[in-house]
Amino acid sequence: MISGSPIQNIPVSARDAPASIYVAPSLAAALDALNEYGPAGAPLAGGTWIMRSPIRHEPLRSHYVAIGRIAELTAVRIGSDAIEIGAAVTHAALAAALAGLPEFAGLAAAAGGSANSAIRAMATIGGNLAASEFAAADCVPALLCLDADVEISGRDGRDRIGLADFLAVRSALAPGRLVTRIIVPRAERKTAHARLPLRRSGDYPVAIVSLSLSVDAANRVQAARIAVGSVEPSARRWPRLEAALLGRPLDAAAAARTAAELTDEFVGRDSVDAPGWYRVSVLPGLVRRAAIAALGS
Amino acid sequence: MGFSLTVNGDRLSSAADPATPLVDILREEMHLTGAKPVCREGFCGACMVLVDGEPTPSCLLPAALADGREIHTVEGLAPLGMLNRIQAALEASDAVQCGMCFPGMVVSLTHLLTTRPDATRDDIRAALTGNICRCTGYERIVEATLLALATA
Ligand SMILES: Cc1cc2nc3c(=O)[nH]c(=O)nc-3n(C[C@H](O)[C@H](O)[C@H](O)COP(=O)(O)OP(=O)(O)OC[C@H]3O[C@@H](n4cnc5c(N)ncnc54)[C@H](O)[C@@H]3O)c2cc1C
Ligand code: FES
Ligand code: FES
Repeated sequence: MISGSPIQNIPVSARDAPASIYVAPSLAAALDALNEYGPAGAPLAGGTWIMRSPIRHEPLRSHYVAIGRIAELTAVRIGSDAIEIGAAVTHAALAAALAGLPEFAGLAAAAGGSANSAIRAMATIGGNLAASEFAAADCVPALLCLDADVEISGRDGRDRIGLADFLAVRSALAPGRLVTRIIVPRAERKTAHARLPLRRSGDYPVAIVSLSLSVDAANRVQAARIAVGSVEPSARRWPRLEAALLGRPLDAAAAARTAAELTDEFVGRDSVDAPGWYRVSVLPGLVRRAAIAALGS
Repeated sequence: MGFSLTVNGDRLSSAADPATPLVDILREEMHLTGAKPVCREGFCGACMVLVDGEPTPSCLLPAALADGREIHTVEGLAPLGMLNRIQAALEASDAVQCGMCFPGMVVSLTHLLTTRPDATRDDIRAALTGNICRCTGYERIVEATLLALATA
């Protein structure tokens, strides 16, 4: 927890020290090492979540496999049908790679507006998606509304699954398996990411609304994907709001009024930085902000 | 096991646990106490150092992963007994208070000065999003940075 947390000074001796950190030179070497360590091992990408384990009173694993120097995992490939984001691409690198691609304005805002500048240069997209206890991840709702797939690799091969399915299984990912790529289809659409931190920067967002809309020449919504983050333990889509916007002209105030009628489907999570009811109550305002940003994109 | 570090041009071999935060090695093994472990969460910036030239919270970097990289702490940013441009401007602007945040501020601002000589007031604020000053002297810190940029 960030906001409101007391000054922490956990002595090093209180840490459950790992025996090793192996810096993998290649994907094959990383998969071999993860396979060998089994449940005692885990990937370490930016480390911005793992290194705070002692503060969350979570034990560290015995062995970490550092994946940040694997060239294959640190590249963003922009193709004509899809973009492919290596799992170890940092938030800062992703935001820079997407600049100038309006259809990804929401994802660029999620990656480029999270945390603070020093953290954005360390934290990776794979770590953002894989940290299963982390409710406030910015890139998760942004990618949910872009219909992203996640590629998972092991020594035996690669699987590709939808992000929503990945979120459901991520805490039980078999040892030896690694998220290697995030694949996002390209399409003409308006996207936006609206988040509400308690202070302007640094804090986790209390609530997030990401949206992706296709509109016709008369600005009527033809397709809508809307995702909510940080309100519940894991981000998810808002299907009733998506359905309600279809066929109507995109209007920010009207979308916010509709959202206000549909917030009852969320049960907000309580935590020290905000009570659950508050997280839910700010959603219509975030829908309005996101719609305004999308209209301008 | 073990790893070695290059900090302000000096080499150190350490046998510490590989996930020991870099800030602890700097302070306990190298006696470089400029970087302060305050929040240990990556959010206050009091432990900021340059790793391969980039501002990095040293509370979040496992020391073993700093092996082979160039580390500069606040102690290494200016010749002994002298002030660098931002330090001099902070002093001249009375922008120095309790000093808890200052080593980290100096590291982030030194990076800004060297990489963005055209930085605006907004750029300075953006560069300081990872540095929290509890004494709330932000206005003077921003003014001092503008002064340092102007005297380049
Ligand atoms: C001060 C601060 C503020 C922050 N604010 C925000 C914010 O506003 N928004 C936000 O989204 N996040 C924020 N974060 C959270 C965060 O730590 C990162 O966004 C990100 O979730 C972590 O990525 P990482 O690469 O550092 O992960 P790591 O700490 O390296 O790993 C996190 C978890 O994912 C696993 N993992 C990592 N990579 C893979 C992979 N390729 N395959 C499988 N498993 C993997 C690890 O084993 C671990 O369990 C903040 C962090 C800090 C320190
Ligand atoms: S102690 Fe490292 S950022 Fe606060
Ligand atoms: S001068 Fe006191 S914390 Fe910044």
